[in-house]
Amino acid sequence: MRAPHIYILLALAGLALVFADQLNSYWMHVAIIAMYYGILSASWSLLAGSVGLFSLSHMAFAAIGAYTSALLIKWYGIPIPVGMAAGVVMCCAIGGLIGWVCLRMSGPYLAIFTLGFSEIVRITIATEDDVTAGMAGLHTEPLFQSAATRLPYFYAAFALLVVSLLLMGLLVRSRWGLFLRAIREDEQAAAASGVAVARFRILAFAIASGFAGLAGGFYAHYIPIITPSMGDLNEMAKLVVMTVIGGMERLPTAVGGAIVVEFLLEELRDYGQWRLPLFGIILLLTMRFARNGLLTPIWLRFVRIGEAPGSAPPGIGEEKGSEA
Amino acid sequence: MSWDYFFVQVANGAVIGVIYALIAVGVTLIFSILKIVNFAHGDLYMLGGYCAYYVIEFLEFQPLAAMVVAMVALFVLAIILERLLLTPLYSDTTERKDEYGLIVTFGLAYFLRNIAVIAFGPFPLKPPSFIPGVLRIDNLILTNDRLVAAGIGIVLIAGLLYFMQRTIWGQALDAVSQSRDSAAIVGINARRFNSFAFGIGAALAAAAGALVAPIFSLAPDMGVLPNIHAYVIVILGGMGSVTGSIIAGVMLGEAENLFTAYFPDATRAFAYSNAFGVVMLMIFLVFRPQGLFGRRHLRME
Repeated sequence: MRAPHIYILLALAGLALVFADQLNSYWMHVAIIAMYYGILSASWSLLAGSVGLFSLSHMAFAAIGAYTSALLIKWYGIPIPVGMAAGVVMCCAIGGLIGWVCLRMSGPYLAIFTLGFSEIVRITIATEDDVTAGMAGLHTEPLFQSAATRLPYFYAAFALLVVSLLLMGLLVRSRWGLFLRAIREDEQAAAASGVAVARFRILAFAIASGFAGLAGGFYAHYIPIITPSMGDLNEMAKLVVMTVIGGMERLPTAVGGAIVVEFLLEELRDYGQWRLPLFGIILLLTMRFARNGLLTPIWLRFVRIGEAPGSAPPGIGEEKGSEA
Repeated sequence: MSWDYFFVQVANGAVIGVIYALIAVGVTLIFSILKIVNFAHGDLYMLGGYCAYYVIEFLEFQPLAAMVVAMVALFVLAIILERLLLTPLYSDTTERKDEYGLIVTFGLAYFLRNIAVIAFGPFPLKPPSFIPGVLRIDNLILTNDRLVAAGIGIVLIAGLLYFMQRTIWGQALDAVSQSRDSAAIVGINARRFNSFAFGIGAALAAAAGALVAPIFSLAPDMGVLPNIHAYVIVILGGMGSVTGSIIAGVMLGEAENLFTAYFPDATRAFAYSNAFGVVMLMIFLVFRPQGLFGRRHLRME
């Protein structure tokens, strides 16, 4: 049996789907929100981990996706999936534009630029309250009108997460994914080897922003009210914490980070305010002593289940790990 | 609109500009030596403000003495943080130092902001004034606190400029910022100056926090906006240029204050005055990344 870890994952996913209705309403909500963050952290890891573009506007794109969808549905009464798709298209377009504008910027400059962009998005949404309802929050249509429980949302979030991961995984494993990683390691060397650096940087921004918009669109029609703070710096910090603690270089570890951190945040509710600085410390320790993320070693062991011990040189194990 | 209104706004803008400059100078100094953008700078400013507040409250110091205590405390704290967290930046084995510096300072900001909510509470606090009362020249009214803040801010910036240009330590700092290797060849211990620059930057931010506290009062998230303003200034003035930051700081303070004062829709003026600075930042990053005064960015390309 080749790659038994895939079968284990499939079995776990099957179990999650079958026994989802056993979860009580509260933990199902936590699971749905965890999957929302899962899509965001996977797409952010695509941008920050794979291409090395440390963007701080990812949550702003989630907000753009959410507000685009909610407002279009409010104004024109279009079906919700169409609204969400419009949000994704909007985020791809703006994301591509941002990617194009900051082509020349590296590391800290890009971070400052995207920080500025996310502030503008937040301020605009909060201030133009006759359109967006501002800080009071915009009421949105629920995705499932007649749903008595959260179960349909759970399945929807699960499907979105799986589809997003498959698409991103295919991208990362493809030739394009190789180009993206080459850009991250050394932009000039990649350009010298014939990678169209500009095109792929724009592409990466557009794709990652599109997934952020998708997550935001789902969130908008799950939570009945959205506020500008869903795209603010605190949310962005939470996303960074999740992704980096899990491991920002691989999609599965990024998603795992989001899910583990979201569940821990709920589980540790008794500690109230202390949870946030605690995760801040964990983030700092992770960066200082285990930069690949805390879940990465576990994942690397996991994908090698079934192989004869010591049969593969470590390099190959590394390669496998980058597969979704 | 009367001229009095205009002059009051200009004066307020100048005061805020000096405070902005004080914060931005630290960001620039840290960038030019450590080659990182410190995302936690606004939170060091916040800690400085609270430190001064508690020194006044519990040790019953004069506000000015409390400011000095806060500067010393933040200088020491920053050096400890730098030793604990930033040393991998100087190691040859660390890959992608940009990414490391970004995430670590970003994480530090997250940590400090949230620990501040626990330690100091979410409600705004206001320390006593440096000198109570207002100054009145004809119709021009300014609170003494604003004057004191601007005055001390100017003294501190002048002190920094003197230090950078006229003392052997300052020149060594400048040497490290220009070329780490060449500085090492002439016998400057670059590592020591990493800590030193981070400490000085934090101390200046602490002074700004202590000066601003009686004017705007203290809150755990008070550092977020000044942090972004500091980036605006640093980009306008040219990353790494201390004089550029000072000029750009005053310019931004003026521009924002006049923007708020004369924006047609008064209810939105304040919200958009923050966006105004950020838009400037983005335009400059795209079209003139070397800033107004043309000191070349070290690693823009």
